[in-house]
Amino acid sequence: MWNQGSLRAQRLRAAYLFMLPGMTFFLIFYLYPLIQALQISLYEWSIMPGQDSRFVGAANYLRALRDPIFWISMRNTVLYTAVTVPGQMILAMLVALALHAIPRWRVLFRTLYYLPVITSWVVAALLFKFLFHSQSGLINYLLVDVLHLSDHYIPWLQNPETALVAIMTLGIWKGIGWSMVIFLAALQDIPLELYEAAALDGAGRWGQFRYITLPMMRPTVIFVLVMLVIGGFNVFLPVYLMTGGAPMHRTETLLTYMYNEAFNFLDFGYGAALSYMLAILIFLLSFIQIKLLRRPMEL
Amino acid sequence: MCQPKASAFRIGISWMLLALLAAACAPAATPTPGPSPTPVVMERVVTPTPTPKGPVTITFWHAYNPEETKVFNEQVLPAFHQKFPNIRIEAQQVPYDEFRRKLLTSIAGGTAPDVIRSDIIWVPELAAMGALEALDMIMPDFNAYKEKVFPGPLSTNLWQGHYYGLPLDTNTRLLMWNKEMYAAAGIAEPPKTIDEFLRVCERIKALGRDKYCFADGGTYGWAVLPWIWSFGGDLTDPEMKTASGYVNGPDTVAAYEFLKGMLDKGYLHPGILGGGVDTAGGFARDEIANLLEGPWMPAIFAAQYPQKQIQWALMPAGKGGSVSVVGGEDIVLFKQSRNKEAALEFIRFMLSPEAQLMMARAGQVPVRTDVIEQAVQAQPYFALFFEQLKTARARLPHPNWPKIEDLLTSTGQAILRGEKGAKEALDELAPKIDALLKQQ
Repeated sequence: MWNQGSLRAQRLRAAYLFMLPGMTFFLIFYLYPLIQALQISLYEWSIMPGQDSRFVGAANYLRALRDPIFWISMRNTVLYTAVTVPGQMILAMLVALALHAIPRWRVLFRTLYYLPVITSWVVAALLFKFLFHSQSGLINYLLVDVLHLSDHYIPWLQNPETALVAIMTLGIWKGIGWSMVIFLAALQDIPLELYEAAALDGAGRWGQFRYITLPMMRPTVIFVLVMLVIGGFNVFLPVYLMTGGAPMHRTETLLTYMYNEAFNFLDFGYGAALSYMLAILIFLLSFIQIKLLRRPMEL
Repeated sequence: MCQPKASAFRIGISWMLLALLAAACAPAATPTPGPSPTPVVMERVVTPTPTPKGPVTITFWHAYNPEETKVFNEQVLPAFHQKFPNIRIEAQQVPYDEFRRKLLTSIAGGTAPDVIRSDIIWVPELAAMGALEALDMIMPDFNAYKEKVFPGPLSTNLWQGHYYGLPLDTNTRLLMWNKEMYAAAGIAEPPKTIDEFLRVCERIKALGRDKYCFADGGTYGWAVLPWIWSFGGDLTDPEMKTASGYVNGPDTVAAYEFLKGMLDKGYLHPGILGGGVDTAGGFARDEIANLLEGPWMPAIFAAQYPQKQIQWALMPAGKGGSVSVVGGEDIVLFKQSRNKEAALEFIRFMLSPEAQLMMARAGQVPVRTDVIEQAVQAQPYFALFFEQLKTARARLPHPNWPKIEDLLTSTGQAILRGEKGAKEALDELAPKIDALLKQQ
């Protein structure tokens, strides 16, 4: 009795000790700033050390609702997510299926498709900026001089609509590899017997994909979907690096707008309020996705 | 896709917020000196250790271009280090576009540099924020320098009755015209008026579809103000109390309609709408006939396009005369600096005739009245800049200028893209600027 209790206590202590570094890190670098940001969002925050900040309650949040640029960045963020998430998932699935089917060189191709993921955003964005340059870009060269699809150079990054196309293309290109690797792993986990049985029952390739592959990969697909939606709403670097929100803040997304307000105009209160609105939105979306899509037996 | 980067960014933000908090909680800012002329401030700075005994390091941020940086690193710094072996200047070149943001972040985190070469338009904001030392309070020999520099550039350091810095260099934009393109179009002389400028443009355009009369990088204040002022328009009343009736006045509207017309006729390079335009390269390749440029250009052309000659002329005059925009930099000292005496020595050195003339070689127009003659002898083209500076004006020295300029830039884009008429767009802009002028 005495021994058992001591052992339990010892184990518990060890467990807490193991958790301590992680928890400390979490408390200092996540929870504390999170609470601090909530506080900042309720103030007209002064960035100078030692100067007073004025409490304004929900004013920063209400300001966002009346701010046309906030709604533009909201629209762009939703649009970016709605386009790049399916774009990445469909292309990644196709690549994964192709790689799964080929008998050799799989590792080589997997590495090649994964390369954009580990490429720095700065490098990739600069590359795309050159590709989409109005006068000397490769895209315009192909469209006008080689394929003759257009009779004039398209000023891609000058107009908000075409700039968003360029930004989303970058987002999709850079993300395919990440989903592909996860899909490929899931594909390799599906027992071959299922396909054999289906083939015996007369199922074609599409039938096998529709009734075996997809259902077996459902948890993986949902995981990738939830992660990509979170990532899509957090889009920052491609926009910041390619247009910086220009022209006229029409390519602004929630995070770039937040960054601009906080770090360019020093409106940290408003910036923090924008971040909180984004965080609440992502939380709700992820919650709904998981509630709607996951079946009880899945995690 | 975005996960690793996005969370890295979040950690970055968290760090930033934490740094903010740490700084806010730190007891460093105990007395809150403020800009009021209290003797406490004098005591606090002037009494401790007059000249540093051990070696001290002063951090100095600047946004000198590569040519200027070269002269600064190879001539100015060694001369200073030789004179003050106990003071090491740790100079950091920060790209202009990043400068203000990086600076503000470091101020918030309590790690501001000691001294910076600040764009003149940042000084009111930094002073209003309480980040700068008032040099007229802590520099016993401030008046000796004040008397030696041009009053215009000096005034950019004035905020609520105190001088928060000293001018370091000054500049303005002149018409930089392309002699070869002018010759091809059969024009001998640069335009003196905006009407003549339009006639030049007509003939330049006749040279070809891809030949442009003029180019600029965007619709920000630095780009559009020379046109607005030369047309006789303005952003606000002289006291910076109201924009209504000024930014939407008939002359400002006319200036924007002029730019829109230039763009529509193909005189103005579409790069003004964004997406990046290599103005200097286009000029060197004889694709662009005119630019509004500053005194740093000859050094840049000498290094990058040695074949191409540059010609200068005054800003074409309109109803308001020939009015260009004043640029330039001030040298300012931060309250957070821990070695203010050494920092002041560096500031004094940067304003010495010796350093001013060294930097003049890289195209930095000196601010000391007593070195002008020598500088013009070495750089004859400086003379026309001094001529233009007589009528040139500064962008609004208001702490809210960054926000005002953001609105101005967007409005200019809406007009040039034909989304709104100039009058309509500027009528919408005026009350927004009015509101920003009232703050502070």
